[in-house]
Amino acid sequence: MDLDLTTEQQAFRDEVRAWLEANAPAEPLPPTSTAEGVAAHQAWERRLYEAGYAAIHWPKAYGGRDADMLSVAIFSEEYARADGPERVNVLALGLAGPTLMVYGTDEQKARWLPGMLSCEDIWCQGFSEPGAGSDLAGLTTTAVRDDDTYIVNGQKTWTSQGRFADWMFALVRTEADAAKHRGITCLMIDMRSPGIDVRPIVQINGDAGFAEVFFTDVRVPAENVVGEVNDGWRVAMTTLGFERGTGLGSHVRFSRILRELVTLARAAGRDTDPIVRDRIAGMYAETEVFRHNTYRTLTCMAKGKPIGPEASLNKLYWSEMEVRLFETGMEVLGTLAELGPKSSAVTDVLGHDAAALWDHWHKRYWYARAACIYAGTSEIQKNIVAERLLGLPREPRG
Amino acid sequence: MDFDFTDEQYALRDAARDFFAGECPPSRVRARWDGDDHDEQLWRSMAETGFIGLTVPTEHGGLGLGDVDLTLLLHEAGRAVVPAPLLETTAIAAPLLVEAGTDQQRQAWLPRITAGEAVVTVQLDGAPFVVDADVAQLLLLERDGQLHAVPRELFQATRQPSLDGARRVFTVEAETGDDTRMAGGPQAAAKAFDRGAAGTAAILNGLSERLLEMTVAYVLQREQFGRPVGSFQAVKHKLAETMLLTEPSKAATWYAAYAIACDLDDRSEAASVAKSFATQAAAKASAEALQCHGGIGFTWEHDLHLWLKRGKALESSYGTAAAHRARLAEVVFAS
Repeated sequence: MDLDLTTEQQAFRDEVRAWLEANAPAEPLPPTSTAEGVAAHQAWERRLYEAGYAAIHWPKAYGGRDADMLSVAIFSEEYARADGPERVNVLALGLAGPTLMVYGTDEQKARWLPGMLSCEDIWCQGFSEPGAGSDLAGLTTTAVRDDDTYIVNGQKTWTSQGRFADWMFALVRTEADAAKHRGITCLMIDMRSPGIDVRPIVQINGDAGFAEVFFTDVRVPAENVVGEVNDGWRVAMTTLGFERGTGLGSHVRFSRILRELVTLARAAGRDTDPIVRDRIAGMYAETEVFRHNTYRTLTCMAKGKPIGPEASLNKLYWSEMEVRLFETGMEVLGTLAELGPKSSAVTDVLGHDAAALWDHWHKRYWYARAACIYAGTSEIQKNIVAERLLGLPREPRG
Repeated sequence: MDFDFTDEQYALRDAARDFFAGECPPSRVRARWDGDDHDEQLWRSMAETGFIGLTVPTEHGGLGLGDVDLTLLLHEAGRAVVPAPLLETTAIAAPLLVEAGTDQQRQAWLPRITAGEAVVTVQLDGAPFVVDADVAQLLLLERDGQLHAVPRELFQATRQPSLDGARRVFTVEAETGDDTRMAGGPQAAAKAFDRGAAGTAAILNGLSERLLEMTVAYVLQREQFGRPVGSFQAVKHKLAETMLLTEPSKAATWYAAYAIACDLDDRSEAASVAKSFATQAAAKASAEALQCHGGIGFTWEHDLHLWLKRGKALESSYGTAAAHRARLAEVVFAS
């Protein structure tokens, strides 16, 4: 057991830290729910790309650095510490790209990977449908072969970046009569194709962060199929496997939220309240446990043990902790918690600096709930933990 | 960075698991409830395997291992609810004698600990009672910031009724003086407390892990409505939520052991994180174990309560979760 970084790892950390200090935007970029915000984030991604930081976990052959998991975690930690902008193309760099590296042909990789890395193309994920959430294999968007194209009809929903994406990596049903998990195919769809209608959905926090996407006789070249036709479920499982490795530096983000709670409690004059102290100390313990557990996971991965169902525990842990962190903030503010951004009453009590923290609290409070639903709901994660880690009987599957 | 144990450390863990499985079945724990006595034979055989002298330096006959090795042994002891003062003697007293004892105290006691001839128990400031004081040959005592090593003839032990019949607790009256003084002071005592907290966390983690295993085995075997009750989501989710606490708790405890072994700046903080979280995890594991065992878990005859009662007793030992959170609040609000 040795938690020190090697000389090389320290050097990499210092390099990343220095670069971010010199380059990270001082002011927050406009939100990615607006066209202006997307453009600003794309410009930022371009700078990361030019500095070789866009996707350090990618192989060198595709423009990455072949970085090991620990270096990825070091980068993520530093990025979170520098409060770097949201990674607007995370679905391409984290999911679609790595999946393409496994299943794509050389032509497909040459065609799509460079645009992902430079963020010239923004990608969205076309998995969820109105009738296919937790039961993903129940998807009904169809793709019917017509000569050298597929004709796509149906609807995707909860599509993050859907409004501004150039490409979608989608799951479509290519064989209606096959067993549920069989007749599915992975298809790359140009979002500018005729017949695609994207409608933004305003979320519970007021932002239009995702969209529903309608397909009416959309023609997609057959060469855009990734992997074998009707083998899309296997491709999707690989994609979801990559999802497990994401978020390894997120403990820094939670530690920052914890410090915000302390600032709010002090400003609200509740830092001597024993109940508030107990609650915040409890949240501090939770964030520390998460940090230690991250190191445990990283060590496993560094030793070449792939993370499987343990990832479900990890996701359950941080998503539910994040909800509690923001809930604690609401408790700390007490009666004032009802007041929203730029409230003069809040500023009067908290002062200008702490009130600035409060400006986004409601949005973040509601948004925290998203992670308990996306990428496998908490209930699905608990099923996975119970079945695959504890060995309890499986749920009936249709 | 390597946040894992070595092959040798895992071999020690496996040896401990095998040893306790063979030498310390639930019947042996239950026998302590019935006999209200110390299991001298178990203590001797634990000494023969080297467990008691694990932290004693090799020049005094011990294995010379540290807090990181020890956390695995304590975890295994927790799994088996071992009815012996391993935490007091091996995890706290032996390192305390090494770090804060006089030469004479070290020479006199460390070889006897290793040989299994002396149980050494401890009472740090504020602890209202002492474990296994009646059979202890030596009591390490913190009084007003000063540490004392009090031999058997200088303290009286009075048995107190307690929640866990296999964990015997006593109030003590001790005569301390210049000749009982140890060399170390408040800093050594503070470290001993952190060892107590992190060690208790390790024992609780082992206990929780075993409770979860017992419960999984039971809900797989117990059928209602024509199928195992463990196939119902209400039950599956309870046990998944339990694992959601018991697994991460291990990482926190390992870190605390590491921080103590390396004397890191955040040693006390890490011990408080570990103990408060392990306590929460054990409370959850205990509650769900009892619920999921249904009526049978509510009986004296079933072994479940041996674990539940040890867990409940240790929840408040070496600082309640709330006391440790109060320590953490000092850190969090200081910066």
